[in-house]
Amino acid sequence: MAIKILSVDDSRTIRLIVGKAFRPYDVTLLEAANGEEGLAVAAREKPELILLDVTMPVMDGVTMLTKLKEDPALKAIPVIMLTAESGRENVLQIARLGVRDYLVKPFKEDQLLEKAGRCVSLQKRPVATPA
Amino acid sequence: MQPPPNLNQYKEIARRYGIAATPESVSRLTQLVARQDSCVDEIVRVIEKDPALSARLLRVANPRATDESEYTVGTVDEALMRNGIGCALLLAMGTPLSLALTKTFQTMLSLKLESVDVHQMDSLVGEHMLGSIGFAGKVVGHVYLRLSSTSAKAIAAGILGLAPEELGSDEIRDAAGELLNIMTGNFKSNLCDAGLDCKLQPPRVGMTEDFSTPIQPGGGLERLAFRAGQIEIFVDVTANPFFD
Repeated sequence: MAIKILSVDDSRTIRLIVGKAFRPYDVTLLEAANGEEGLAVAAREKPELILLDVTMPVMDGVTMLTKLKEDPALKAIPVIMLTAESGRENVLQIARLGVRDYLVKPFKEDQLLEKAGRCVSLQKRPVATPA
Repeated sequence: MQPPPNLNQYKEIARRYGIAATPESVSRLTQLVARQDSCVDEIVRVIEKDPALSARLLRVANPRATDESEYTVGTVDEALMRNGIGCALLLAMGTPLSLALTKTFQTMLSLKLESVDVHQMDSLVGEHMLGSIGFAGKVVGHVYLRLSSTSAKAIAAGILGLAPEELGSDEIRDAAGELLNIMTGNFKSNLCDAGLDCKLQPPRVGMTEDFSTPIQPGGGLERLAFRAGQIEIFVDVTANPFFD
């Protein structure tokens, strides 16, 4: 069964890059453009991994992470921050809230796959065989 | 109340997550500028130790000069005396921006982006793409990204791994906006670490024919230029420090 990964980022560009990185793998990529949408998708779909941006409209990544960790049904989902912000206070605050990893933009696809692979077991997508 | 940020704890977490540190000279310069009571001599010493920072400061202090022979302000000391500490702040902000932009090209487009003297590149003529992000807090200003439609399309295609003809205008605009996000996110981290807390506004991307950049009263402007093959980029940074 495909692994569900949720990408929460207001940038369509980043969501496309993330989608391209996981395309060879048996992954169902779920998307949300802000923290509020991200929480709703997380509650509905229970993804195995969340990739989370910090600066977003409507609800930012730190607020979403806080709410995620307060929710007994969602708090165990591993989160990798995917953000251009690596300031001391931001990183410390996020680390205190509890994230599995932190990837600073710009990033390479293989860095993302390596960090994601430490949280979930990525399997290559089965190749369709002719009948 | 949360405990104050602990530098050692941050260093340990940054090491664990593989987060790269800001260059020491830039970090030091930002801290000095942020202190407000710093002695100018101390700032001069930090800038003079770094030839690239010194050259950029003199370019900012001589905005009309097309090369060094036309400089009317010839030393770091004089540049800071005449233009104020805002000049040093621009330098401190421009470096993380440049590093982030160069790294983005390297990691996401496999292209070597080089910083070039702004006078060695022709200004953009006619309609071009303009992206901007405002930041506000203890320091107020804007970062502007300017590039031709052809350059914008080439960048979006490279980042997304698509052919230029497969791209719509929304994808091109969004890629330019993300480039801005990445640059400003990196430089905001440096400012915040130095105590110049500020928040970023969402990026705005559109087309313009105007190549001029508005400067806030009392503020400064640094224009940076970059080239990678046919791709040419201008980045303008405006800042007004200690705005409460």
